[in-house]
Amino acid sequence: MIRDLSWIDPLYLVLALRWTLGLTVLALLGGAPLGLIVAAVGSMHRPAARWLARGYVGVVQGIPLLAWLFLFFFGFPIFGIEVPAWLAASFAFSVYASGFLGEIWRGAIQSIPRTQWEASVSIGMSYVEQLRHVIIPQAVRIATPPTVGFMVQLVKNTSLASVIGFVELTREGQMTAAATLAQLPVYLMVGALYFVVCYPLTTFSRVLERRLHGVR
Amino acid sequence: MAFVELRSIRKQFGDHVVLSDVDLSVEKGEVIAIIGRSGSGKSTLLRCVNGLEAIDAGDVIVDGVHVNDAKADLRALRARVGFVFQSYNLFPHLTVERNITLGPVIVKGLSAADAAALARQALRRVGLEDKAGAYADQLSGGQQQRVAIARSLAMSPALMLFDEITSALDPELVGEVLRVLEAMAREGMTMLLVTHEMNFARRVANRVLFMNGGRIWEEGPAAEIFGAPRTEELRNFLGAVLN
Repeated sequence: MIRDLSWIDPLYLVLALRWTLGLTVLALLGGAPLGLIVAAVGSMHRPAARWLARGYVGVVQGIPLLAWLFLFFFGFPIFGIEVPAWLAASFAFSVYASGFLGEIWRGAIQSIPRTQWEASVSIGMSYVEQLRHVIIPQAVRIATPPTVGFMVQLVKNTSLASVIGFVELTREGQMTAAATLAQLPVYLMVGALYFVVCYPLTTFSRVLERRLHGVR
Repeated sequence: MAFVELRSIRKQFGDHVVLSDVDLSVEKGEVIAIIGRSGSGKSTLLRCVNGLEAIDAGDVIVDGVHVNDAKADLRALRARVGFVFQSYNLFPHLTVERNITLGPVIVKGLSAADAAALARQALRRVGLEDKAGAYADQLSGGQQQRVAIARSLAMSPALMLFDEITSALDPELVGEVLRVLEAMAREGMTMLLVTHEMNFARRVANRVLFMNGGRIWEEGPAAEIFGAPRTEELRNFLGAVLN
């Protein structure tokens, strides 16, 4: 049954944006700490550690996000664990984010001159202390633009979670468009909502970059 | 045992032998200048003392710690051995004060207040007490190098290693850094310094090592090394640098 587009539809789209943002936040909560570990292990002296991180990143980046979603959604039930779509999606997006963030951050860490490692190790600091107090604070500045760029991608990629039945902004838009046949206005609204989230992120990244002290 | 003992150490990068059969003992309070052409292995020798470079054979023993033993507590050793680099290597994201307090707070577990007092004291010794709030890029090369020295001093080291610390400085800034070194030497600090400042080495060092081809080619009191070189190589080297 076809109905007219009404004032309630934009409201539903805005409400659906919650799930887009919620999934993004969960993906970052899981992906960022894991990514930090991947970056730290990938920057170690020991070749075995670097290989381990490289292997992980290779596997995560080499498997499509869609496959990760199916893997978690249909994989858990095999072990007798039923997971709701949002949880399966959170796992999939966390793994996905950890692979990309880990690689971005490893690159940023390795762009810090070797002399900074030498100066900090020479006052007796451990590897983790060096990372925490000397290397990462300087790497943050370099990592900020690509990290925010990835976050913007992440916001938009959450639409893929609709394949396992997770209703977020894009899926809500599809359903509204199907019910009203007002495709263009609906997708314009969907696009505008993504823009409202992503554009401030990019602007914020520039502000951050300016504020951080580093190798100038 | 001497405070620093190098026993027939050997170091190579690939096929290139950088150090071979280097023996050295350094007693507490000694000031030793290491001179030689670039590529003679003097910087590598210094870097082997605190384990920045691993050696391929021999033994490095500092304050009883076998530096190349896998079980050695290098962190604890490095907290007692200061290292100052040619390119200063200050932490650019931290103020001068935080550069200096980082080691005492993180490595030694001092309180922020105690570390700050230590930093003020160290900055006074290098004549930069008014620069505590500055960042490295707001300082001249000579000032940055003095901060780097203060950063090491704040760890109360038992040994200081200096790797050509005036080589990157404009000539008019060398004096202020050397004066700090001289004061430390007078106070009895054990120091190993790789340097191209021959006059300084002659004035301050108890002993001078001349390195050539990865070996300690000649060694002795400053007066002997500069006044009566025994080998052709040292004579040539001195002839080249003193003119």
